[in-house]
Amino acid sequence: MALPLKYNFRNVFVRWRATLATVTGIALVVAVFVLVQSLAVGLEKASQNTGDPRNVMVARKGSTAESSSQVTREQSRNILYLPEIARDARGRPLVSADVVILVNLPRRDGTGEANVTVRGVTPMGMDLRPQVTLTHGRWFNPGRREAVVSQKVARRFAHCDVGGRIRTGGTELTIVGWMDGDNSAFDSEVWMDADEARSAFDRDNYSSLLVRVADTNQMAALAKRIESDKRASLRAEPEIAYYSAQTRTAGPIRILGNFLATTMSIGAIFAAMNTMYASVGARTREIGTLRVLGYRRRSVLLGFIIEGVILAGLGGLLGCMLALPMHGYSTGTLSFDSFSEVVFQFRITPWLAAQGVIFAIAVGFLGSLLPAVRAARLPVISALKAV
Amino acid sequence: MTIPAFIIKNALRNKRRAALSILSVAVSLFLLVTLQVALRELTLPPEDVGAALRVAVRNKISLANLLPARQLPIIERIPGVESVTPFTWFGGKYKNEEGMTFAQFAMDAKKLRKVFGEAKMSEEEYVAFENQRNACIIGRITAEKYRLKRGDRITLESTVYPVTMDFQIVGIYSGTVDDRNMLFHQEYLDEASGLPGMVGMWWMKVTSAEAMPKVIQRINDTFANTSAEVRAESERAFQLSFISMWGNIRILVTSVSSVVVFTLVLVSASTMSMAIRERFRELAILKALGFRRRELFAFILAESFGLAAVGGLIGIGSAYLLYTYGDISKLTSGVFVVFEVTPRILAFASLVAASLGILASLLPSLAAARMSVVEGLKTLD
Amino acid sequence: MATEPIVTIRNLTKVYAQGEIQVTALHEVSLDIAAGEFMTLMGPSGSGKSTLLHIIAGIDRPTRGECHVQGVDVARLNETELADWRNQNVGFVFQTFNLIPVLTAFENVELPLLLTQLGRKERRRQVAAALDLVGLADRMHHLPKQLSGGQEQRVAIARALVTDPNLIVADEPTGNLDAHSAEDVLRALQALRRDAGKTVIMVTHDPKAAAFGSRSVHLEKGELTNA
Repeated sequence: MALPLKYNFRNVFVRWRATLATVTGIALVVAVFVLVQSLAVGLEKASQNTGDPRNVMVARKGSTAESSSQVTREQSRNILYLPEIARDARGRPLVSADVVILVNLPRRDGTGEANVTVRGVTPMGMDLRPQVTLTHGRWFNPGRREAVVSQKVARRFAHCDVGGRIRTGGTELTIVGWMDGDNSAFDSEVWMDADEARSAFDRDNYSSLLVRVADTNQMAALAKRIESDKRASLRAEPEIAYYSAQTRTAGPIRILGNFLATTMSIGAIFAAMNTMYASVGARTREIGTLRVLGYRRRSVLLGFIIEGVILAGLGGLLGCMLALPMHGYSTGTLSFDSFSEVVFQFRITPWLAAQGVIFAIAVGFLGSLLPAVRAARLPVISALKAV
Repeated sequence: MTIPAFIIKNALRNKRRAALSILSVAVSLFLLVTLQVALRELTLPPEDVGAALRVAVRNKISLANLLPARQLPIIERIPGVESVTPFTWFGGKYKNEEGMTFAQFAMDAKKLRKVFGEAKMSEEEYVAFENQRNACIIGRITAEKYRLKRGDRITLESTVYPVTMDFQIVGIYSGTVDDRNMLFHQEYLDEASGLPGMVGMWWMKVTSAEAMPKVIQRINDTFANTSAEVRAESERAFQLSFISMWGNIRILVTSVSSVVVFTLVLVSASTMSMAIRERFRELAILKALGFRRRELFAFILAESFGLAAVGGLIGIGSAYLLYTYGDISKLTSGVFVVFEVTPRILAFASLVAASLGILASLLPSLAAARMSVVEGLKTLD
Repeated sequence: MATEPIVTIRNLTKVYAQGEIQVTALHEVSLDIAAGEFMTLMGPSGSGKSTLLHIIAGIDRPTRGECHVQGVDVARLNETELADWRNQNVGFVFQTFNLIPVLTAFENVELPLLLTQLGRKERRRQVAAALDLVGLADRMHHLPKQLSGGQEQRVAIARALVTDPNLIVADEPTGNLDAHSAEDVLRALQALRRDAGKTVIMVTHDPKAAAFGSRSVHLEKGELTNA
């Protein structure tokens, strides 16, 4: 038979001075864990949230980034009239040949420069990516050195306000609008007219093709048809799969988060242990009394473990609350996939918060285990010791 | 019995508590040293001996854009330039590994000794590298990681060029800060890719440090308003521009580290305060025996400081030993190379340990000063 | 009065190892305690009176000999059986009260009942009855620190009696109390015997307290002097 929970709860609170530091400590550990992991989640979410289920991405086989992929004009012409590809009302195939260039731009806060992805798109390409909407200004005009910047990129790089001019190499682009990519990978891009991009950056070839299939069941057939041309050496895969595979940047962040969490939790376990040992020490007589009243050893053991878990669980909840204000905060770093700046948000998902609390509870469990064993081993007669 | 003996006996009365306090301090300071060293390496990457005289030239648009090979004779004619080599990122995947663990660059083998003199190999290996078309050399770390030796053949599939190429290892170099890269002939790449005339970057050695700013200026001016504008910069500046690309992550790591350190300091301080609070009975007895407040403070401080000092010694010491004598590159699978625990970091960590000792004694001291003898004697464990 | 003994002790010996030295706390003690007695155990410090009480209450074990309580040889039970046995058969009153500081008087008294199958309502009724018996019905929702020493001890008595055990043992229950409070507590113990028919065993070194009992037994150096 277990001790009543209110006994455990009240004991946690009655010793609040001693437990406060432990609870705060565990809270900070959990906050760090949740924040660092939320970066990894945010990065993954941004890439997973990209693409249309009806689209197929075609790029050069072996290339890991669109910017290092090349599709020749001849290859692109061959693909244009494949039977699986959908057509618009006027019978034109829904295919967009894009050119992707990395451009080094100065940061707005003057802390250096970073690569930004510039995508040359066709009007068809814009239709194929309905996630992207204009928020300020207007779209670029074909044949003009104009560009539309994702508003998240614009906030991070200099000269990106509407009306601003960005200079890169010998090229000057006028910013005519801001767009929003609905938390997708397009939030990290600058868009301009495809032909204009090819002439401004001296590119003969396209970087990739985005293709809409008429029937999603035919995706595999289309991919097979494109990849079967060994000479062209192209690879076709669903757009969604292409982007969601871009998770290399998140890896090291997860490792960092796990390293910090592990090391810090060792410290937190020591803290919990100390608090619980002190609690056991101070309540020696009380524990003996419970045993005299007929409570078994395992009830005492369980009682102290529950106390440790309550203590740590409180810390875990507090930690999640500390981390929560950062949810949705936009940040950026170098993507290992595209070798350019990727803008993303801290994402504290319910599952991540739950992981934080579970993590805290594990700390509480481990920290209270030995003190609880000690409490359970106390002889019954200790109830009579005047301390 | 002496007073110090009394303090030591007291501190070890509850051995488990003393051990937990010391361990938690040790863990905190170990982590503190680790994060400080990691941050230092992230913000100030290690520098090669030859770096002071090297200049890197890339396409002004970005590193990902190539440069025309015809720029070479123009650069070579600039006064102050001693030797120039192309340096082209190959982005090859070795075997079926997902991530690349070492970088490969195509260059002019004959310029290796002049531009990257710190990469040491035997004369025989140098000659073999210069004369064999499909030859490559690899760094010691990569060679050890994949158990590669001279004469082995390796195949790499490029993620940048539409080619898969075979190489023969003719040399294994060491002596640079990060002996991991693989180097091979630019002509071999041109031939295989069928796209001659373009290179990734230019790397050069200048005649003197004084000449460097002028050389950089000349190169930038020479190609201004051409179809391929360039950005020339010192090796150091080039490295730092990489760090700038990390963006907010660096600030984030810094602030996370501060939180980490704060947490651990808080936890250790509370642990030690608790250890000292256990002494209240003794303190009350001492007070009853006629010890003054000042002496009680000294007792508390000595004990708290002692615990922090021992913990600090263990934490900082083990971090120092691990990072100085351990193979850090292997431990972090190549993310960190040098991981130097500098005297400044050692001093900072020791200072944190010392302040921890003082901080942890504050609350108990205050309480001890206020407590009456009777009350203290009543205090239950 | 029934003469059937509730406690039968035969040749009970208890030896403590204190480091290298062996201390004999009880030496070949034999004693019968009849149901319905209020027996007081007296003797100087170190005479073994507390040890004897602890063995009877099942919180300490003899080195040799037998101690049957209501026919059960307490020394032969294992830890878990002993815990259940204590809960059902013995109520214990400590010198230092030993109330749980975070629980109210009511909750303290309820604590042993949580180990039984009783429902919430029945528990309520029994706790209220026990507190009523010790005259503290109006202090139910006070925390121990809000009560006087005598009141705390009476709560402890209520806790000892709430599971309706036949045997109540008290170890110097008045040791920490002033004369006036002590009398309240002793009268409460007398009431247990008189009104509820309990057997009460009380250790004390105070002859005035012992006078409240129905029989007095003296121990000296681990042996009975007036069995």
